Amino acid sequence: MSPDNDVIDRINALLDSTDPETVNTSMRIPKPLREAAALAVSELGVAPSATVLAANALRTLLEIVVREAVLERHFEANPELRPTLADLAIAAAELDGSPLAQQPELIDRAAAEVQRRHPGADPEDVLLWAEAVESCKANETAEKGAA
Amino acid sequence: MNSIILLDNEAVQALADKAHSKHRRVLNEVLVANRRATRALSFGIAVPAAVRVEAGWDRTAAAWAFVNQLRIADIPLDARHADAAASIRQRAQVSVADAHLGAAIQGAEADHVTVITSDPRDIQRVAEGRRVDVVAI
Repeated sequence: MSPDNDVIDRINALLDSTDPETVNTSMRIPKPLREAAALAVSELGVAPSATVLAANALRTLLEIVVREAVLERHFEANPELRPTLADLAIAAAELDGSPLAQQPELIDRAAAEVQRRHPGADPEDVLLWAEAVESCKANETAEKGAA
Repeated sequence: MNSIILLDNEAVQALADKAHSKHRRVLNEVLVANRRATRALSFGIAVPAAVRVEAGWDRTAAAWAFVNQLRIADIPLDARHADAAASIRQRAQVSVADAHLGAAIQGAEADHVTVITSDPRDIQRVAEGRRVDVVAI
């Protein structure tokens, strides 16, 4: 679903708000989750309080969701820009500093193969596949050399 | 793990303009990084204020509506960043925008800093030894 621009702008404005007012919510969360959060705060020091931890996690998730929605709207309006699995795998390789980013043909082949077998594959699956293909090729070359 | 992605001038320009030759590349980097962020405790995308000035990014202008919606935070050129950027500019002989980018890299609280840039060599210079992953566009 691609949300209305006004909805995105409204969510962004609320996330940017510096209004310090807080509200008590009647939101019910599973008891074990609340206890796990309390332990993470007291024993792992992940946040000053369980409330801060929950608020930060919710903010991070909302920001991710908004970006994804904005990008989806952009791709709907400009279908030629929608990336293929291979495009995303190259981007993932670039973000990881992987040398596979310099081998777009290998990534293309790996993406096609992975997608054929696993339609729900993600970019990291493609990189793993491409790395495995390269590794097999290197081993075969080494074995031929040794023989 | 918390992580941040910083954008340089050309990355901003490319993201804003769908006719830019590198628009798709930067979009794809943002898309993949955003999807990966669901595994992190904290993730952000930011642009140093001086880079935004150099890129001509006026948040009140309609032309920047798409980029504004992507929740790319400003890193202000406050006193701390100005002092750090001034020193970096002297040492590395770079532009004001790149010096601010360097101050942002060096002062980042994130464990993992990535910069999307058209000039990877300048980024390593202004990082001055701080570990940074560079995505060259």
